[in-house]
Amino acid sequence: MSAETALGPWWPYLVLILVGFLPNEIWRVLAVVLSSGLDENSEILTWVRAVATTLLAGVVAKLLLSPGGALAAVPFAGRLGSLAAGLAGFYAVRRSVIAGVLIGEAALVAIAWWARTGAP
Amino acid sequence: MTLQSDFLAAWRGVRDALAYPAWIVGFSLFGVGSLARDAGLPAGAAVLSTCLMWAAPAQVILFAGLLSGAALPALAVAICVSSLRFLPMTMSILPLVRRPGQRWPVQVAVAHFVAVTAWVEGMRRLPSLPVPERLPYFFGFASACMGVSAVLTLAGYQLVRVLPVALAAAMLMLTPLFFTIALMASARARQDWTAIGLGFALAPVATTFAGRDFDLLALGLVGGTMAYVVGRMGRRA
Repeated sequence: MSAETALGPWWPYLVLILVGFLPNEIWRVLAVVLSSGLDENSEILTWVRAVATTLLAGVVAKLLLSPGGALAAVPFAGRLGSLAAGLAGFYAVRRSVIAGVLIGEAALVAIAWWARTGAP
Repeated sequence: MTLQSDFLAAWRGVRDALAYPAWIVGFSLFGVGSLARDAGLPAGAAVLSTCLMWAAPAQVILFAGLLSGAALPALAVAICVSSLRFLPMTMSILPLVRRPGQRWPVQVAVAHFVAVTAWVEGMRRLPSLPVPERLPYFFGFASACMGVSAVLTLAGYQLVRVLPVALAAAMLMLTPLFFTIALMASARARQDWTAIGLGFALAPVATTFAGRDFDLLALGLVGGTMAYVVGRMGRRA
């Protein structure tokens, strides 16, 4: 009998803990160990912050370049256009994050709808 | 610092989260909920994945992997690599909320709540708060984000496939759109702008040079170090 059948309804939860939760959480716990005694203005943390910011910008760029699910149906130029509209909205409306997000989203819905209904 | 002032700071955190950040991360997890249902998981596991993992990209890897029948050890490795970003993020936020004599269980709890939304917004809002208010504010902010996200994960699980494609695409666009704007809103020094620029510029070529598994790690280390050097030159000049 395999572990899957032995555990029955608990199997998905065991997978979630062992495959999903633990490999993910290890970095957060390791950060607690490594950051003990570090001052918020120390040079090493300034560098760590630069690495984190670059990583995050890279994650965003990858999401735009090769998106999953329904977003893949919107052409790359459309995804880029939505981001440009969002940034323009952010700067136009007194640097408001939510205004930028809403304007970018509106642009994306318009582009997705236009792309689906058969552009000329 | 009293219990009452802690409560007030936590409440301000909840309020600021509910103003919009909680909804943005929540709606991006809506899609994760639908994916969990496609993968044949129970609703409880979908909601629990949001509370325990608190990392939309890793949750997508898990559920999409289960759906395609990937080997579990391979999935665990892929998730581990994808969540590496939490190391520098958590390391940079912990010193901001540290109080004298803080015990490690509190720090592990703070670390658990670190994800992109809480990090970006925390780096933007925490430095301007008085030090004693930062910890309760962060807990209030992050737990409100997680609570809203748990509810919306369940909603996504239940409402799968009734959403028009344009709206589904819009929910998936929330993450890149919000992260980019929030990064720009919190950028202060030359180092931040260089890091954002390099992250975008290096992403298309990183996979070619470092391979699929380690491209983000390489991008973060190379680009981040370059941004640090540029920022340091700026500070000296």
